[in-house]
Amino acid sequence: MSGLKRMMLGALAAGLMAGVTPAKADFWADAGKEFSGVTIRGISESTPPSNYVKNVLGPAFTKATGINVEFEATSWDQMYDKAIKDMEANTGIYDFVYIEQDAVYGYLSRDFLVDLTKFIAENPKLKAPDYDPANFTTFANYFKGKDGDLFGVPMEAFIKVYLYRKDLFEDPAVKAAFKAKYNRDLAPAKNHAEYTEIADFFTQWGKDKGIELWGSTVQANTGHPASWYEYVESVAPTFGVYNWGIDPANNFAATVEHGGKMNSPEAKAALQFWLDLLKNAPPESTASTWDEVAATFAAGRAAQGLVYGENAAWIATDDSKSKVVGKVGVALPPVEPGVMEAAEAGTGYIGYYDGGAFGIPHSSKNKGAAALFLEYIAQPSVQADWAVAGSRITLQSTYDDPKVKAQDAKTDGYYTLMRDQGKLFAGAPAYPFHNQLREAVAPIFWQAISGELSASDALDQMATTAEAELTKLGYRK
Amino acid sequence: MQSQTLGWLLLAPTLLILAVFGLTPFLYVLVVSFFDWNSFAADPTMRFSGLSNYRHLVFDKGFLMALWNTFKFGVFAVVSQIVLGYFLAQLFMKDFPLKGFFRTIHTLPLMIAPVAVGATWRLMTVPGLGPIPYYLNQWFGYEFLISRFAGQAFMTAVIMDIWHWTPLVTLTLLAALSSMPKEPFEQAQIDGANRYQTFWYVTLPMLKPAILSALFIRLMDAMRTVDEIWMLTGGGPGSATRFIGLYIWRIVFPKTDYGYGSAMSLITLYLTIVLCWLLYAGLVARRDLRKPE
Repeated sequence: MSGLKRMMLGALAAGLMAGVTPAKADFWADAGKEFSGVTIRGISESTPPSNYVKNVLGPAFTKATGINVEFEATSWDQMYDKAIKDMEANTGIYDFVYIEQDAVYGYLSRDFLVDLTKFIAENPKLKAPDYDPANFTTFANYFKGKDGDLFGVPMEAFIKVYLYRKDLFEDPAVKAAFKAKYNRDLAPAKNHAEYTEIADFFTQWGKDKGIELWGSTVQANTGHPASWYEYVESVAPTFGVYNWGIDPANNFAATVEHGGKMNSPEAKAALQFWLDLLKNAPPESTASTWDEVAATFAAGRAAQGLVYGENAAWIATDDSKSKVVGKVGVALPPVEPGVMEAAEAGTGYIGYYDGGAFGIPHSSKNKGAAALFLEYIAQPSVQADWAVAGSRITLQSTYDDPKVKAQDAKTDGYYTLMRDQGKLFAGAPAYPFHNQLREAVAPIFWQAISGELSASDALDQMATTAEAELTKLGYRK
Repeated sequence: MQSQTLGWLLLAPTLLILAVFGLTPFLYVLVVSFFDWNSFAADPTMRFSGLSNYRHLVFDKGFLMALWNTFKFGVFAVVSQIVLGYFLAQLFMKDFPLKGFFRTIHTLPLMIAPVAVGATWRLMTVPGLGPIPYYLNQWFGYEFLISRFAGQAFMTAVIMDIWHWTPLVTLTLLAALSSMPKEPFEQAQIDGANRYQTFWYVTLPMLKPAILSALFIRLMDAMRTVDEIWMLTGGGPGSATRFIGLYIWRIVFPKTDYGYGSAMSLITLYLTIVLCWLLYAGLVARRDLRKPE
C-alpha cells in the first residue's frame, strides 16, 4: 500500500471514529484537557453515598477527564470543622465541600459558596451536555439562593423513615400473641401510643424468648448532637412542633411565654414519649448516633425504629453487613392526630428530609475543575447505581431506572415512598445559626437523657437558653 | 563578649520559634478575649466588649461544672497514678523472672496516641456490645452503662487515664529510685529505722523532686485532656465527663464563639498556673521556709 493510500485510509478512519463517538464522551475528555494533571480536593461525611463518590465516581471522573480527585470521607464533626475552617480562613484546601441541608443557610449567610448557576453560565465551555438542573428533585430548592441560583449540586437526598421488622410483624405466632395482649392486629404504628405498645411488646418478647431483641431503636447518644437532631427533626414534628419550636416570624421566640413552642405541652409530650422509649431500646442506644442506630437495626436488635434512609438499602439488601436482609418493612413515622393532615396541607411535616450537596468554596483554587466534577456526578447516567448503593435520589429520572425499581422491591418500596410521600417531610429550618444554637441547648438536652433533668425542666431551660443565645447572636431583638 | 553573642545566636532560632508559635498565639487569644466575635452571628465582625466575656464566665454554670469535673478528674487520676506508679517502680527495682518483658509491656500504653486509647476503651465499654459491660453483666449481674450512668462514665474516664499514664510516673520514679545513693539507706538501717521510717524520712524526701515533676506534668496534662474523653464519652452522659478542654473545644469550634472561648482558655491557663503554684508552695516552698529554723 502506498503512503498516500495509507494516509487517506487513516483520515477516513479518523473521520468515521469522530462521527460515531458520542459528543458527551468527547466533552469530558475535551473539557478535562484544560485541567490536565490538576488535583481537586473534597471533603464529606463518611456515608454510603459519599463512599460511593470516593470509590466509584471519583476514579471514573479521573479516567474520563484526567483530573485527579482526592476525596476525604470523614466523621460528621470533622467534616464541618475542616470545611468551615478552610472557608473562613480562605486557605483553599478544598475545591468542593459537602453542604448538609441544614448547614446551607449558614454558608450562604457567610458567602462561602460559588454561585454555580452563574459560574457555569459564565463558562459555557464547562457546561456538560448531560447536566440539567431542571432534572433535580425539589430537594435542590434547599440549595438555591434568594434569586433561585444553585449553590450546591445535590448528591444525596433521603427521608428518615420508619423501619420495622417485616418478618416479625408477619409472623403468625407474634401476631397472635400481640392480638391476645392488645386486642388489635399487629401493624406498623400510626400513632405514638401504638408505637409504644409495639415497643413494649417486642422488648418483652425478646426477654421471654431469651433473644437480644428490643422494641425500638433510639438515637440517644448522651454526648453527641445526633440525639438532639432525632428529637427536633424526627420526633417533635410528629407532635406538631416544627422548626425546633422556634418561631422565626415572631422574633425567633422559643418559649411559650414569648410565642414559641420549644417548651410547649406538645414538645414536652414529644420528649417524654421519646425518653420513655429508652426502656424498650437496646443498651447501646444512649451511645448511638445515626450510624449506630442503623447498625443496631441491621444487627436485628430492634423491631422498629426511625432510621436515616441513606442506610435503608444496605440494611435491606447487603447480607455482608446486615442480618435482616429481606426482613425490612418501611412505613411513614407515627404521628399525633392532626399532624398528617397538616403535612398534607403543606402547613407542617412529619419528619426529616435529609441530604446534602457539593458546593465550591470561593476559596477554591480549581473552581473550573471542581465545577466539572459536580456536573459529572449530576449526570443521569451515574445515578442509578449510586441510588442502589446509597438509597439516595436527587434526579427525578432516577426513580424510573430499572435498577432502582428492582432495588425498590427489595427495600419494601422505600424509593416509592420517598417519591410519593417525600412531600410530607421537610429539611431543617432556614436558620443560619444551627451549630451555635444546638451547642447552647444540646447539653441541657443530654441531661434529660441521662436523667439529670425531667423532660419538662429540660425543655423549659432549653427554651430560655435558646432565646438568650439568639439574643447574644443578634437574631432576636 | 564574643561568647555572649554566640550564645544569643545559638538561642535565636529557639527564641524565634517560641515567639512565633508560643507568644504570638497567646497575645492573639488575649486580644480576642476582649471581643464579642461569632462568625455566624447576625453581625459576624469583631466587636469590642471589654471584660464582658470574663464577667459571663463567672456565671456560666456549664463552665463552672466543667472546671469542677476537671478538678475532680485531675485529683482522682493523678493521685492514683502517683501511688500506683510508686509501687510499680518499687516492683521493677526488684529482680523477678521476665522482668524486662513485663517492664516493656507495662510501658506500651505510653506509645499509643490518646485518640486511639479513647477509641479502644470505647470499644471495650460500649453498652450492650463491649466485652466489659457484657462480662460484668454475665458474671456479676452488674449493669455497666457508661452512656447512661454519670458515675460509671466518670470513673471509666479516670481508670482509662490511669491505665494510659501510670507508666510515665513509674518510669520517672524508677529512674529516681535507681539513681539514689545506698549510703542514706544503710545509715538508716544502722540507726534502727523501720520500713515506714525509712520510707518517710529517707526515700520520700529524696524522691520528692521526681514525684513533683510527675505530679506537675500529669496535673497539667489532666487539665487539658480532650481527645481520650472525646472518643470515650463525647463529654456525656449529660455533663458527667464534660471536662474543661472539651467544653472550650465546643465553644470555639462547633459554636464558633471565639471571644468567649478565648477568655475561657486564658482563665483555664491562669487557674492551671495557680493550681501548680499552690501545690509548689504547699509541697516545696513551705519546707524551704522552715530551713532557717
